[in-house]
This record gives sequence, C-alpha cells and structure tokens, in this order.
Amino acid sequence: MNTTYEVFRNVCPRNCYNSCAMLSYVRDGKLYKVAGDPQHGFTRGKLCSKGYAYLKYVYSPNRLRFPLRQYPRGSGKWEKISWNEALEQIAEKILELNKRYGSNLSLTYNNGSGNIGLLHQYASAAFFNSLGQHTKPVGNFCLAAGQDAFTYDFGQTLNPDPEQMGYAKLILLWGANPACTAIQQMKYINAARKAGAKLVVIDPLFTSTAAKADLYIQIRPGTDGLLALGLAKKLIENEDYDREFVENHIYGFEAFSRYLNNSDFSPSRLSTVTGITEEAFYELSQLLKEYKPCSSWIGYGFQRHSNSGQSIRAINALMALTGNIGKSGAGAYYLHLGQEAFPLKLANHNSSVQNRLVNINDFASSILSLQDPPVKFIWISGRNPLSQDQGLTAWRELLNQLELIVTVDLFMTKTAEHSDLVLPAASHFEEYDLNISYWHYWLALNEKALPAYYEAKSDLEIFRLLTRKLNKLSAGFSDFPAELSAEDWLASEITTQIKVSYGINSWQDLKNGPKKLQMEIPWSSCKFRTASGKFEIYSKLARKNNLPALPKYHPPQSSKHPFQVLSPQKNEFIHSQTKWLPRIIHDQASLVLINTNDAQTHNLRDDESVILYNDNGSLSKKVQITDSVPPGVLVVFQGGQEPINSLINESFCDMGKLKNHYNGNAFYDLFVSLKKGGDSAEAAWFFV
Amino acid sequence: MFNVDQCIGCQSCISACKNENQTPTGVNWRRVSQITEDVFLSLSCNHCDSPECFRVCPEKAYTKQRDGIVIINPNRCNGCMDCVAACPFGAPQFDYEQHKASKCTMCYTRLQNNLQPSCVEACPTDALKIVDFNQDLPVSVELTVAGFPDIVLTRPSTRFIPPQPRRRYRLNCLN
Ligand code: SF4
Ligand code: SF4
Ligand code: SF4
Repeated sequence: MNTTYEVFRNVCPRNCYNSCAMLSYVRDGKLYKVAGDPQHGFTRGKLCSKGYAYLKYVYSPNRLRFPLRQYPRGSGKWEKISWNEALEQIAEKILELNKRYGSNLSLTYNNGSGNIGLLHQYASAAFFNSLGQHTKPVGNFCLAAGQDAFTYDFGQTLNPDPEQMGYAKLILLWGANPACTAIQQMKYINAARKAGAKLVVIDPLFTSTAAKADLYIQIRPGTDGLLALGLAKKLIENEDYDREFVENHIYGFEAFSRYLNNSDFSPSRLSTVTGITEEAFYELSQLLKEYKPCSSWIGYGFQRHSNSGQSIRAINALMALTGNIGKSGAGAYYLHLGQEAFPLKLANHNSSVQNRLVNINDFASSILSLQDPPVKFIWISGRNPLSQDQGLTAWRELLNQLELIVTVDLFMTKTAEHSDLVLPAASHFEEYDLNISYWHYWLALNEKALPAYYEAKSDLEIFRLLTRKLNKLSAGFSDFPAELSAEDWLASEITTQIKVSYGINSWQDLKNGPKKLQMEIPWSSCKFRTASGKFEIYSKLARKNNLPALPKYHPPQSSKHPFQVLSPQKNEFIHSQTKWLPRIIHDQASLVLINTNDAQTHNLRDDESVILYNDNGSLSKKVQITDSVPPGVLVVFQGGQEPINSLINESFCDMGKLKNHYNGNAFYDLFVSLKKGGDSAEAAWFFV
Repeated sequence: MFNVDQCIGCQSCISACKNENQTPTGVNWRRVSQITEDVFLSLSCNHCDSPECFRVCPEKAYTKQRDGIVIINPNRCNGCMDCVAACPFGAPQFDYEQHKASKCTMCYTRLQNNLQPSCVEACPTDALKIVDFNQDLPVSVELTVAGFPDIVLTRPSTRFIPPQPRRRYRLNCLN
C-alpha cells in the first residue's frame, strides 16, 4: 500500500471571516487529515474546530450521493435517479415554462453563502443570465446597511488590514465576537494586548471575547449609536479630538458639533437609554483620549437593527474625529471587498440583461407579489432558506405556487426536504476554486484534492451539463459557456492587474501558497472617495437619499412583546451549516438563553420547556439560565428543527439601497413573549 | 502548560486532536469544559509524575517514558476500565466498540519530528504550550487552578496561568 500522502492546498469556503487556507493529506483518493496552511500569513497554519473536523463532513454518512427525486413533494418518498433523468426533467420544465409564458421570467434562483469561493458563489447568476430575462434576486442579507454607511462616510468600504490590528493601543469591539467567529483574529488582538493595548468589548451579550476583554461594557441592543455620539460629544467638548485631522480631512465637523450640542447626549440620558453607567462611559472616554492608535471593529450582528446604518456612521465619525483613520493600528474595521478587483466573469456573464429584480431580503413575499408571469421554478443552492430566511410564512405559500423546486446541497437540509429534486453538491475538496476573504487581504487557490464523491458535482459542473441538455433540446437556448472548465474560469480571473497586485504570473502560482495583496495602509493618503474628497460626517449623498446628512441617533424598535431575541453565531456553527458534524456538537439550536432575573420572574428552571411566540407564530425551546444575556434579551442560536427565524417579521435596516439595491435585514429586531410549556411536538413548523 | 487567561473555549484543540489521531466518536482525548461563565479548561492527559493509571493497570499496559510521557499500549489493554476509574482527570477514554481504553499520547511521534502536538499547533490563542520545566516557566505559573481536580495523588505535569481580573460593567438597571 501507498504510504505517502499527496498534499493539496484547499481553502475553507465557509462564510467566515477567516477563510483559512488548509492542507489536505490525501492517499489513494481518500482524505486522511487536514491541517492549516502555515504559508498563509493571516491564518498561519491554524484552523477552527469546524475546519479540523472536515473529514467528518466529507465522509458524513448523511452526505448526499446521488440525485434524488421526491414525489409527492414533502412526502419523504425519495427515489434515486440518474443525472440524466434529473437534468432532463429540469430542462423540460424550463422549456415548457418558457413556451407557456413566452419568456423565462417564471424562473428564479436563490443562492447563498454556503460556499463563498468565486466559482461557486456566482455560478447560478451566470447560468440564469445565460437564459436572458428571468427573475433575479438582488440585495445582501447581512452586509447591506454597513456598506452604505461606509460609502457615505469614506466613499467606499475599505477594511484596514486586520494584521495591523496587532499595533493598536486600544481595540473597541462593537458587537464583534472574534473568539467565536474570527478566531484567527485573536492572535493579532493578543499581540496588541501583549504590547500594552486595551481590549474593550461593547456588546449586549457577555460573549467569549467579552470574557477576555480588559473592559467589558454591556449595552442595550440597538443603542450603540447613542453611545458613540455621546463619546464624540464629550471628546469635542473637552477638545480631546484630533485638530489636524478634523481641519484637513473632515467635511461637516461644525454641523456635527452643532447637532451634538443641540440634542440631549448627556451622560444621564445615555445611561438611561443604553444601560451603561456614567462611570463606564467616563472610563471609555478616557481610554479614547489616552490610548492611540485605536481600532474599532463593527460586528455584522450590529447591523441587524432598524437604526444600524446610523449607528455605524456614528462610530465612523468617532474614529475620524479622534484621527484614528489611515494609520497603522487604527481604523474602522468592518468588511474587505477584495472581490471587487477581480473581473468576476461568472457574476458578470451577460450582466446587461434587464431582469425582473426581487429583494433577496424579502424574497418569498416579493416573488409572491409577481404576476404576469408568476414564478414557477426555483433553483436553490448554497442556502437553506427554510431555516434561515425571515418571512417563512410567505415561503410556505411560495412553495405551493412553485411547479419545480431544485435544491443543490451536500445534505438533506430543511429546504431540500421540501424540494422536488435534490442534487448532490461537491465539497470544496472535490473542485477547483479561488477564494478571496472578506476580512483579510490574502488570495488562495482551492485545488481539486479528491475525486468526485459518488455522483456529487460542483455548481459549475451542474450548469455546464444543464446547458448542454437545454441546448440539445432547444438549440441556443442558453449561452452559458459550457465548454469552459473550472481551470478556464480561474485563468480568466487572473487579469494583468491582479497579477501585479498579488505578485503572481498565473493562478497556478498559487499552488505554491496563498498571496497577499500588495497595498498601502487604507486611507493613509487621506484621499477619500466622497464628493468632497474628505471624510464626510455630513453627507450630501445621504441627504439626497432621504437619510439624515449627519449620523443621527434613532431609537431602536420596540414592541408590545417584552423580550428581544438575538440569534448570534456559535463557534460550532455557521448559520445552519455544520450541524452535520456530530462529534463535538450538541444541538444548541434547541435552547433559549435567558437572564437569571427574568427566569426568576417567570419562575423558570433550567431545561424547562417554554414557548416563544409573537404574531408570526410560536415555537418551543429549552431554557438555559445564564447571566451572559442581559435582562429583557433572549438568545436563540440559528437553525435547528424549529428555526428561530420563523418568528421574524420582515423588518429592515435603515440603509442598504445604495450599494445593494435594497435595505438590509433587521434580523435582531425580533420581539417575542414567553410562556411556560410546550415541547417540539407543538412546534409552529406545520409543513406536511 | 495551559494559560487559563487566554483560552476562549473554541475547541479547536479537541477537533485538531481528533483530526490527527482519528479517535472514534465519543473518544475525546482532549476535552474543554466551562468552569464559570468566563473560564474554560482544556484538559487531556497530564502525563503525571505518579500516574495512577500506570499503578492500577493489571495488564501493565501503561508506561512512563523517560521523557515523562505516559503511554498506553492498546495491545495489552484488556478493557477492565480500572484506569478510567482511577485517573482523577478523566483522561483515559473508553471505546465501547473496541472495548479498550486509549488516551493522549502527547503526539510523541509529532514531537519526534519536531512538530508541536496537534492541539498546541491548533490553539489560536497560544493558550496551550509545551514548556521545559527547567527553562522557560513564566513566573505567574501555578500547579493548579479552580476547577482542576486534586493534584496531590498523581502530581500532574500540567502547569497553569490563572485568569487575571478584568473590569466589567453590566447593564445598570432592569427596565
Ligand atoms: S470555518 Fe472559518 S475559522 Fe473554521 S476553518 Fe473555515 S474559514 Fe477557518
Ligand atoms: S492524567 Fe490520568 S491518565 Fe494521564 S498520567 Fe495522570 S493519572 Fe494517568
Ligand atoms: S484551542 Fe486553545 S483557546 Fe481553543 S479551547 Fe483549546 S486551549 Fe482553549
């Protein structure tokens, strides 16, 4: 027997800050183990607990091996079919609908963050564009509000280099929890702390990062904007701001000071609204004054409120007036849009087609409202909307309207269970891809390390086959370039500019290891991309878009229901993914975390069943009492048998339209009441 | 050495250990437990100075190597579970399918190849480290921490850096 391993470079394609580069050890076409890739300068040879458990993912007994057909839908009567049969059924349906309605507008797709490699993320966009006019989802689930806020302030979303956070003297985490969601960043935070930096966590939840903070400040959900503005006011009053930066690089400072002066940002109001004591407020303002440079990091959960765009602008303003922009160890961290430098040939294939657009954040309701023709066909990939979307009632209605539901996945997800056809997807070990992080600046190649798992195929491969099938039945129906292989697509992404900025000659060069973008410190030139060329605390563009020109505090949503539910990520999960990893993972999604005082008031004990309800339905969870959750707040993790998102009203952030067509989703503006009783049998999930 | 102050409870160490040693479901040589709201302990075998496992094993399956590492020989193990009961730290794990005990080997084959044990390599916060007792022990090091079982009997080789105090402000009022 062969005793040496072949080692391949892979990249974890989960929707995760880290985008870790990994080495896979393969012998005789079988994966033996994975390791971190030490050549990756950001992740430096480490993976997270999910990453190290990939063997179990690839060879999970639950993984789908063959195309499956379910008839009738939802019956659980599955039949194994051949790829040919599956593709034929799909192609025939597409052609029939085209004939019936005289266009492809009755076709739509819904693609998520299941695999954020370039060739996976955009394959469905390319395929559907190749059919001409269709019904196309646009928008961004999670990053819409922040991108707009950054665009108004800086003119562009540009992340400071996370490796530079190691040089900060003060690190403010606003609702970011790297100990769970970006463990690779902990190295840089720890390096900064070792050199004397203070780590401050501002979060309604006492997270595992909060536990490691030098200063933890608990805050009421959705009130961070007020805190940031209060701090700004205090620093300005005491003349503790960066005069040079303000005079030369900020537009609208006077108007901002006036606004702060004329509204109530007194410590006592701050304290009543945010729940932060005056002492904590004072301590924080002293830190901002004394510790420089300061890095602020705005977490993605932070955006899931109706007022989040404004809150982010307030934090950006705070960073700007303290001069914490464009310097090593300083900056407002949020998101790196590294993909934008690439041609994104798949995403842009036929992008001039005038499609009928629907809001991905309001997907099911938007589609339901469409007539002439109604949508009859959906292709779902890399997503589990029946667990993750808001507006699940609308989804149920939508399913009834659809004539064919095709889901591509590795596992029988909740969504797959309600599909007509389920196609087995390849894991990232089985196909080429190119990965660009949305956090750090490294570019990495994902090699094909393993042969196909049974009959699983990559999204790209499936569309190549489907195109051939369609064009055979109706010549020229799709202009998807079916002849291009994954390698061809990779080659087309490496433009001259990419070669220069990453110091490579071809994609094959990345077989020797990941490469970092060569760059200067973002905004170090202070040439902002706004209309005035300055950092715009006062944004005319915002005003034009019917938003306040200045970052203003708007109170968060409230409700007749007493509890606000937050549904953050757990270290072991990403959204509803990885629940297939059985060894170290318990079903945390069945729990509701509640504060000790609230538990006493409601006379609840640990492990007791409770029903959470609001106008959208009800579901039952098991109580876990903890002081990591403040009073009035419940934590429920995402996914599980009774997904919390089924209770979410369709509610939106204040920003998002500018860069992503539609405003973002206010997932955390979810309010419920709670009563004793219930078990999973009484669940609100009434699919039959 | 385990730095309690640094550990974030991320469980990468457990997962990396399983990835390396391919231990079956339910057999976790390394385990992470939450002691309080903010303190985690990541523990495996402590390769004790006076290993109870070694003393009680009727088949003499255990050896204490010269480098200090305590090893169990699976071929000798008869599945009596005496070591499982005797170890105060729950280190020997019982595989009910194979009917044998197994435990952390300190990845000695990796050490021989100048590699770190896989848990140490994986730890994103450097909370886990191998240190030479004769050389680089930090001053703040302790023999035990809250939540660690009694060390008197076996004299474990694990050293700890205890959690440091931190400033915390909880919500000021309840409405
Ligand atoms: S899930 Fe995130 S941290 Fe874990 S291996 Fe993948 S990219 Fe890395
Ligand atoms: S920790 Fe337990 S198994 Fe390990 S050497 Fe000590 S007594 Fe033996
Ligand atoms: S990998 Fe390190 S930080 Fe994570 S649980 Fe283990 S010891 Fe703690």
